Amino acid sequence: MAVTHESCAGMGGIRGAGDLVFRMELQGYKINDAKKYVAEKLNCPVEYLADCAEMKDIRESLNISTTQPRPDAAVGIQAKFRIAEILGIPVNSVELFKKQAGF
Amino acid sequence: MANILTRYGDNYIAELSEEDIRADIDDGTADAADRAQIPELTKDEKDYLFEIIADPQKIVSVERGKEVVVSFDAGTLKLTVRNGISMDRSAAILTQERALASDSIELCHVDYSYKPIKPIIAEERQAMEQAQLLSVLPVLYGAMPNMGLYTKPDGPCDNWSELLPAGRIPEARAAQEEAIEHAIKDIVFVASNMIESGADGINFDTVGASGDADVKASLEAVRILKEKYPTTGFEVGMAGEFNLGMHGQLEFDGEIIAGLYPHQQVKMAERAGVSIFGMAVNTNSSESLAWNLARVTTFAKAAVKAASIPVHANVGMGVGGIPLSVIPSCDAVSRVDKALVEIAGVDGL
Amino acid sequence: MTKEEYIKIAIDTMMKGDADAAVANMNAAIADGIDPAELLSEGYSAGIREVGDQFGKGRMFLPELMLAADAMKAVSEVVNAEVEKAGKSVEKRGVMVLATVQGDVHDIGKGIVASLIKTQGIEVIDMGRDVPAQAIVDKAVEVDADLIGTSALLTTTMGEMKVLEELLKEQDLKKKFKTLIGGAPVTERFAKRIGADAYGEDASEAVEKAMALLG
Repeated sequence: MAVTHESCAGMGGIRGAGDLVFRMELQGYKINDAKKYVAEKLNCPVEYLADCAEMKDIRESLNISTTQPRPDAAVGIQAKFRIAEILGIPVNSVELFKKQAGF
Repeated sequence: MANILTRYGDNYIAELSEEDIRADIDDGTADAADRAQIPELTKDEKDYLFEIIADPQKIVSVERGKEVVVSFDAGTLKLTVRNGISMDRSAAILTQERALASDSIELCHVDYSYKPIKPIIAEERQAMEQAQLLSVLPVLYGAMPNMGLYTKPDGPCDNWSELLPAGRIPEARAAQEEAIEHAIKDIVFVASNMIESGADGINFDTVGASGDADVKASLEAVRILKEKYPTTGFEVGMAGEFNLGMHGQLEFDGEIIAGLYPHQQVKMAERAGVSIFGMAVNTNSSESLAWNLARVTTFAKAAVKAASIPVHANVGMGVGGIPLSVIPSCDAVSRVDKALVEIAGVDGL
Repeated sequence: MTKEEYIKIAIDTMMKGDADAAVANMNAAIADGIDPAELLSEGYSAGIREVGDQFGKGRMFLPELMLAADAMKAVSEVVNAEVEKAGKSVEKRGVMVLATVQGDVHDIGKGIVASLIKTQGIEVIDMGRDVPAQAIVDKAVEVDADLIGTSALLTTTMGEMKVLEELLKEQDLKKKFKTLIGGAPVTERFAKRIGADAYGEDASEAVEKAMALLG
């Protein structure tokens, strides 16, 4: 059922910008405001956010990970460091990483 | 016009005439409007809902550009436990992220309630910390408030489910009030620990399953947590279309909790500091998809209109118009998604 | 007062769950020559059905429902005493064995059904939750029940209702006991498929179906 929901109505997670838009909803933004905020930060049209072709290029250029990260690409917490900076919001796990790593 | 293939809420296929489907849409929206004292769907919305239901395609989808984000309750229970796939929870999270294209996921324990997490909090923290190192998508931690666990013999409080039928109402109410205090402490303890381990948010699932005391405990806990962790997101997913009054007199911020419908529940949730509100409307397995979907869309539209925070419609098994079956049909699921996004305007699923 | 006025007060006492006022109204009506059985049926029973409907819509809450059930019980006792005084035997409408099926621990709904059915003069033997099908059959035989009611909240446990039907057939008891089923995943069509005699969508309908099954 998760596949049906995501295919029919979802933003495609890291195939698109679903993870980023979700992060803004966690900050209390409603869907259209969250999309607008993310699109501005990615410097792309809102329509690109659920488009896997456009978002693959954007994600690779910003080095914020995709479903099939290539060698030398940021993955996991590395990508989230960059996401926190691009979106301009604190990401809890990134803050924890900095603390644990003694930054 | 030939009969239209559709389904009932029990997931079984049915052939209904256009007239029957339109009548069910009328009845479903009228039922929701009457119960919650909210507007019915407009004629145009009902016509569009009919189009969605009658679409001959097996799967329908939202229009390009209208996609929404998807959140999950019982997140890591699904692949590893319910589907029986031998993988640990980190692998399940990465599968959701990289294979199933999920917008977010929830780490959770098989004993999906806050209370039993207390003695295993160190293991849960470790699981969260590892998952956060590996994953990119937002990973929430979630469980149910599950007030029933505070009643004897599982907990310290008298069992109000036994006291109420015995007519011992003051004692039943006192037992619930006592349980609320225990639940708040447990939820705040578990949630604080998981936030300290990097959780992107905390999910409260099936809030209200044990009645209005369950709602009170959850919202009070959110209020404490939001003050403690102002940048963390809190998602509260409800148990049903109105708050069941097991106590009946409990208040949050001076407002009676019992009997509130989604458009009222969401305002109370906002005041507590909730970031994402998950509304739930139970599917009636004896009624058609048209009846159920008209009904849930009516509730959802009113909730979205009232809300200042994102509203997610719970579209799990047997909720939100999704048929009540462990294997709900894709045709019904896709129609539910399209109607809730395009007619009700929900912010997520 | 007229019968209609007594009926109006009867309904009001149920809505308020006021046992004392309910009994006082019934006593006054009897003293005024009103048929207590008619007042019970047209007033108090109608009132408790309304309470059930309001509960189903979230406009009344569980404690109020329980108070109304208590008030109904108190009034029923007055009526029974009156019937006995008139030299007639108190008519018990039947005996029902009620349980949540094996594997299922959800019993809030079943408790509400039990409370409402009791108000209609039916003796309810509530076996609780997580009850094996054979234990339900054994209890029905032991108490010489007329009705067996089962509840399930889970799709994974509703199959136990079919097990019960099969046990009744195997043990040649199907004609002896009528069966009534309910719970969120259960439907009229499921009832027909497994051979149950009736399905109740909610507590109010369960009462109606139970009464119909008892003739």
